[in-house]
Amino acid sequence: MEIKETAREGLKRGYKVTYDAADIEERVQKRLAELAKTVRLPGFRPGKVPIGLLRKRYGPSVLGEILEQVVEEGSRKVLAEHELKPALRPKVEVTSFDEGKDLEFSIDLEVLPEVPEVDLSAIELVRYTAEVDEERVRRSLENLAKAQRQYEAPEEPRPAREGDQVVIDFTGYRDGEKFEGGSASDLPVVLGSGSMLPGFEEGLVGKKPGDTFRLELTVPEDHPNKDLAGRRLVFEGTVKEVREPKPLAIDDELAKAYGFEKLEELDKAIRERLEQEYRQRARDKMKRQLLDHLAATYGFEVPQGMVDLEFETIWKQLTEEMERSGTGFESTGKSEEELRREYRDIAERRVRLGLILSEIGNKNQIKVEAEELQQAMIREARRYPGREREVFDFFRNNPGALEQLRAPLFEDKVVDFIFELAKIREEKVSVDELFEEPEDEEDAVAGAEAAAKVAAAEEEAQPAQDRG
Amino acid sequence: MSEARHYDVILRPIITEKSTQLSEHNQLVFAVRKDASKPEIKAAVEAIFKVKVEAVNTLVLKGKTKRFRGRPGRRSDVKKAIVTLAEGHSIDVTTGI
Repeated sequence: MEIKETAREGLKRGYKVTYDAADIEERVQKRLAELAKTVRLPGFRPGKVPIGLLRKRYGPSVLGEILEQVVEEGSRKVLAEHELKPALRPKVEVTSFDEGKDLEFSIDLEVLPEVPEVDLSAIELVRYTAEVDEERVRRSLENLAKAQRQYEAPEEPRPAREGDQVVIDFTGYRDGEKFEGGSASDLPVVLGSGSMLPGFEEGLVGKKPGDTFRLELTVPEDHPNKDLAGRRLVFEGTVKEVREPKPLAIDDELAKAYGFEKLEELDKAIRERLEQEYRQRARDKMKRQLLDHLAATYGFEVPQGMVDLEFETIWKQLTEEMERSGTGFESTGKSEEELRREYRDIAERRVRLGLILSEIGNKNQIKVEAEELQQAMIREARRYPGREREVFDFFRNNPGALEQLRAPLFEDKVVDFIFELAKIREEKVSVDELFEEPEDEEDAVAGAEAAAKVAAAEEEAQPAQDRG
Repeated sequence: MSEARHYDVILRPIITEKSTQLSEHNQLVFAVRKDASKPEIKAAVEAIFKVKVEAVNTLVLKGKTKRFRGRPGRRSDVKKAIVTLAEGHSIDVTTGI
């Protein structure tokens, strides 16, 4: 076997491997001899089939098998000898082979770049903390109370006012005909809630129980139902009841409606939820700082193949998104060309971050334990109540999907690890500041996938060597 | 004898351990038609494989009596021809005609 390097440019490597015909022939012989011991042919006892006959019958398939083996062995050897870490699966192409002639094949691959040592202790991050303020707690309590608001018929019947709940029967007509979904009976409507067509609720203000009404409305052009958008509709109906809202009550009753014993408990639960939300947000912000820092500090060449792959994924998502919403490139105010360039940059950033994170992770033996994966799976399954089994089966049968679960876990663990070592400065901010949007949210999700891919590729490389 | 008849006479080569052993003596085994005669077989083999045949021995392998769902039945008989080729001639039967 002969290995020749044909290309070396940046991270790209190319090799040409030549195998002797005699070498291959010998292996074919060996394999046939092995086969002869086990193969069953009518007219022959097992193990008594002449090799010549076997060669006639199985020659081509054995040859194919051997070629595959040789090619795989060759590529593995190339990788081992030159100590290459491929970024993606190497591209192997057989350039020439005929029976009795030498086998020649080429291997093209990109190697993983040397990821520079990241000095974790030099990273400075700011952890923003915000306190839960009374105002917000009160507001969420009010919202909860509103959702549970009770309505009661007033003692004296009176015309409906904004904020009242009216119970109505009505029929809708389009071009003088009834249409689907246009009628209802005993429907409670809160005036001013905006749950009906614009103009509908307003038209009911001032009606008393027993009053009839007739409304002519034009449906807005952007109505989700295409059949109705922009059409003129006529509604006729009767008001059956007018109820006025009971005053908002924030008390133990409200807490009970949400499954708590006492108001204090509900209050506490809200506080906890808000706090957790803030913490999560603070963590996200910190992570963003970290990623920005890493991307800005460590510039190194990244394998184009990986960037391409990442870019394709983003691009596909984007175009699908556009198709769904029915908008084109114009809506972004940029040409396709510009967008492509922009997303390429994002893809490159993701790949780079992914590489750095996975490098840090590997160096510090951060691993996603099977148990954690299991938990993630259970969390995922919970999202589909009643179909947990299916979800588990899906993951069992799709190692790729499991990989996708692993990626964010891995990223989180690495990020947490860095947080522990990095210099962190605490800074108090108000809640509003905490939730201020960074300019572009797009790549906040950075590199998780890329990192997972690298991790997966490495794991793949391992058993391959064990086999040999 | 016509060309087509040659192909009718010889049904298939018989490839077994025993027949491969015979090939060391330059002999081949064919399944042939029940009514084929030795001269016919000789002519057919010579015409189809373009070889010289020295001798033809034949035998009829009687079908076994078998029972199928309790009813007796009989497997069909097979006439085998063991063909000895003249020195220096050979046929690769495994490649088919």
